[in-house]
Amino acid sequence: MTLKINEPKAKESTMAKAVQWIGAPLDRADGELKTTGKARYAADFPLERMVYGVPIVSPAASGSLIKLEVEAAEKLPGVLFILTHENAKKIFPIQNDFGTATKLAEGRFPLQDKKIYYAGQYVGLAAAETLEIAQEAARLIKVICKEERSALDSEEELPYSYFPDNNWGTPLPVIRGNFEKAFSNTEVQLKAVYTTPVEHHNPMEPHACTAVWDGDNLILYESTQWVVGARNVVADALGLPREKVRIISHFVGGGFGCKGFVWPHTLLAAMTAMHLKRPVKVVLSRSQMAAGVGHRPATHQELSIGSSKQGKLTAIKHHTITQTSFLDDFLEAAGGPTQSIYSCPNLLVSYQVVRLNHGTPTFMRAPGECTGLFALESLLDELSYTLNLDPIELRLNNLSDKSPEEELPWSNSHIKECYELGSKIFGWKERNPKPKTMKRKGFLVGLGMATAMFPGVRSPGAAKVKILSDGTAEVLSATQDLGTGTYTTMKQIAAEVLRISPHRIVSKLGDSSYPPAPVSGGSMTSASVGPAVKSAAEKAIEALIHISIKDSSSCLYHLPLEKIHAADGKLVYQDDPSKTEIFEEILKRNNLSHIEGESFVKPDNSAEGYTVQSHGAQFAEVEVHPLLGQIRVTRMVGVFDVGRILNQKTARSQAIGGMIMGIGMALHEKTVYDPRTGRVVTDNLCDYLIPVMADSPAVEADFIDKPDPRFNSLGVRGLGEIGITGVAAATANAVYHATGIRIRDLPITPDKLLKWL
Amino acid sequence: MRAALSTLKFLEAGSLSHAFKIMKTHPGIMPTAGCTDIYVSLNFGTLKVREFLNLWGLSELRKIQMKGDYLSIGSLATYTQIIHSDSVKKWIPMLIQASSSIGGMQIQNRGTLGGNIGNGSPAGDTLPVLAAAEAVVVLGSTEGIRRISFNMFYTGYRKNAMNPEELILSVEIPRIKSQQWYRKVGTRAAQAISKIVMAAVLSKDPEEQQDPRRIRIAFGSLAPTVIRAFRTETALAENGNITEAQKTLLSEIQPIDDIRSTALYRQTVAANLLAEWWGKVSPRSLIKS
Ligand SMILES: Cc1cc2nc3c(=O)[nH]c(=O)nc-3n(C[C@H](O)[C@H](O)[C@H](O)COP(=O)(O)OP(=O)(O)OC[C@H]3O[C@@H](n4cnc5c(N)ncnc54)[C@H](O)[C@@H]3O)c2cc1C
Repeated sequence: MTLKINEPKAKESTMAKAVQWIGAPLDRADGELKTTGKARYAADFPLERMVYGVPIVSPAASGSLIKLEVEAAEKLPGVLFILTHENAKKIFPIQNDFGTATKLAEGRFPLQDKKIYYAGQYVGLAAAETLEIAQEAARLIKVICKEERSALDSEEELPYSYFPDNNWGTPLPVIRGNFEKAFSNTEVQLKAVYTTPVEHHNPMEPHACTAVWDGDNLILYESTQWVVGARNVVADALGLPREKVRIISHFVGGGFGCKGFVWPHTLLAAMTAMHLKRPVKVVLSRSQMAAGVGHRPATHQELSIGSSKQGKLTAIKHHTITQTSFLDDFLEAAGGPTQSIYSCPNLLVSYQVVRLNHGTPTFMRAPGECTGLFALESLLDELSYTLNLDPIELRLNNLSDKSPEEELPWSNSHIKECYELGSKIFGWKERNPKPKTMKRKGFLVGLGMATAMFPGVRSPGAAKVKILSDGTAEVLSATQDLGTGTYTTMKQIAAEVLRISPHRIVSKLGDSSYPPAPVSGGSMTSASVGPAVKSAAEKAIEALIHISIKDSSSCLYHLPLEKIHAADGKLVYQDDPSKTEIFEEILKRNNLSHIEGESFVKPDNSAEGYTVQSHGAQFAEVEVHPLLGQIRVTRMVGVFDVGRILNQKTARSQAIGGMIMGIGMALHEKTVYDPRTGRVVTDNLCDYLIPVMADSPAVEADFIDKPDPRFNSLGVRGLGEIGITGVAAATANAVYHATGIRIRDLPITPDKLLKWL
Repeated sequence: MRAALSTLKFLEAGSLSHAFKIMKTHPGIMPTAGCTDIYVSLNFGTLKVREFLNLWGLSELRKIQMKGDYLSIGSLATYTQIIHSDSVKKWIPMLIQASSSIGGMQIQNRGTLGGNIGNGSPAGDTLPVLAAAEAVVVLGSTEGIRRISFNMFYTGYRKNAMNPEELILSVEIPRIKSQQWYRKVGTRAAQAISKIVMAAVLSKDPEEQQDPRRIRIAFGSLAPTVIRAFRTETALAENGNITEAQKTLLSEIQPIDDIRSTALYRQTVAANLLAEWWGKVSPRSLIKS
């Protein structure tokens, strides 16, 4: 059922007779700030004596820089400085590692040498009094390169590819049983190749950085998914003590992965600000966002699947050929879902990576999961037709109580309920299983489904909760809200512990000077920071109880602390509820402006011996025009098992957003490179198509909403990414059902379909 | 790289005759209407022009009015204006369909019919409508006013028959007694540059259908300019055989592969659109099939 709640409402919990704020569909705390334009993003801080920086980029895709002809630009009135490899500050080598929060997005520092690895790479920066002048200066600068043969074609470069031997520490290839033997002996065999294109994140807010030096302290207003990571990288690279660098990212206008780690433009801004001793603002253009801030690399996935006639999987092979740059060993791990959803005794998952003269790829919403599920869930659909089995039944046949990968029980899994509820909401039963049988108003109609999945991930996270003497409270954490609802959900967690209304709590996030938190990636913010907020709030209450029982003028004086708890903005004595003290009175009487609790929560071992994974069932209906091949997704349903839901409204928005992004992946998105120059042709929102409102159908998202207490104290698993994971396959399967045509190459454009219609 | 706006010169015309004079005395100057095309090319850094003449204030170029037996639409009329005009609705509803399919609301508020014509993109969505309507473009300069048939207006890819100092004043649309048809095909449902666009008119009277001038078919995105499919029209008028007409059409168009579509798709869909239209609107084809 779709939740159609506009008014914030909270559940009454009968036990404690208190309001349950966790789960309540509260409006976003940042909503009004954003809709009224008061929210300040990285480029929105009007500072005195601001300098504008515009990166100068390489036209060549490989080779080396001969020189920059800067004379004409330098003569332009208002130009302050042209940063080049000749005058750039020396950058210190850093650890560049995820575990120590020092990961660089591109494993090379800008302007330290003359090498060129991709078209659009920064070779300098023009700094001027106005943006206009800086742009004009950048335009006037001639970049002279010695071009070498560029690697631009995946197929041509295949002989030079490498076979990665691990993915985040997991040895590759992944082998179970004996694929070859089992496959040759199996009753039913299917093989197919699925391909996905390069995609760009294209968040609405471009990457931006405003760098301000205050003596030897550096503040960066930076659009980032990881203020702590950015602080460490920038400090280490510039040779500054980390406490002298502060990253502020109060609002992020979407990231989807491309703002996870520090890209070179951030360092250019800091270096220029250091040289000029003035604030410097660098905002990337849409075209620069196509070159140097990551993308989802293309995949070519070869799948073979063996099954019994009854539809029990016996053997799977999934070989992915994908791409990276000459700078980093990025892996789009499309085989992940194949390893981890269905039980199959014989499995081989392997990769091959081609190096190209493109920028370094990066994580893009559900990296590996959504590319891999497109292939796996399409092939299972093909198998369901071969076996004449309902696609859901085929999937149910191959589920197990244990994770196929680790052979451990699931910490908590409700995947079957997802199929059940999803098919009920969607009306799966009304589907005529035969392709090309359903029609509506001259359109071919098709219904398809796919499984969604995302692993449960969490990292250490910290938070501070302050109870103030005016009866309000604050939550502080160096996590960041990408537009997902973190400002709101963290308040709700604190409210539930403090027993006050979330409307009296303010979340303060997106500042590296707050208690540290992990990257807002891997769908792990709620599961990592949420438990820290809970624990910090508990500590704050505990501290308040300690004060009250030592306070001779309190009615709680000398009472046993374990019998005192918080309720409705007060401390209450359990055995005699008439003995209460309002928070603010305790603080005022003790001359305290506030009291606080701080907590650093590491993943504990309660989930040891279990596999933590989220699942979902996704359904799509499409209409295909028989003469034009135009495809419209007319309806989508997604039901997800992601542990406990912190806020029904923001959760639903996340899931819907992911599903609409999935329509883009299924039908529209594709980055085109010029095969001669290696430059991105689709470097604007006119040529790089993402779904507009008219492409966004009725989307329903629902949740099982059962906590996963083994994973963390809140039982929450996070849901930033799972929404997109099954959409491309569900759509492709619906297109097949409508037309009888199987498109194995994304995006499914009318051109590909029409050949067969 | 984006052109710096401070390097641009922007002149303002106080009246139409003033505008004519500026066009005459400033060779190379570019007139601007809603700027929805011009600003895109400035942003991409592909426009070399640095001097512009702002026409936006010339309200006499914004009128939509009946003039005897034709409808005159001023070149500065915006899509929003066209969409809400009763005269356009009565006279040439397919222009409303085309206008409603253009961009989003913001673009419809700023973009003008004259700008669509002046820009001359082969994918311009109103152009097939004007071609099928046999519109007349009214041009003006210090030399006076002249009229040119829309179907003679384009001379090549983004080239037209205007003299450099001329302005587009209005478009005149004669009465269309026939049934109008408009179809835009894009990859996404809105905000899409057309993969292919078609406009056609056909008389409801079976007798008249045999007169080639009663059948008019125009396509966008299938050739370097918007095209009238004259030979296809004749083929349909002569024998009404759609399969033959489809063959003729394919010999008349020169679609290309680009990032929006493939030539093969454009050929197939052009032929399919023709058949769809003919099947729906031609009483003769209905009787025959
Ligand atoms: C986001 C977006 C979406 C769009 N979607 C569509 C779409 O769906 N379909 C479509 O067809 N177009 C689309 N366009 C293109 C554009 O909006 C139209 O072509 C529009 O009609 C241009 O009108 P304008 O007044 O803005 O022209 P301008 O940009 O002012 O001018 C365009 C050209 O015409 C010339 N010109 C303008 N007026 C005159 C005149 N009176 N005399 C002589 N020359 C003149 C100018 O010199 C210039 O060369 C879109 C543009 C954008 C930015």
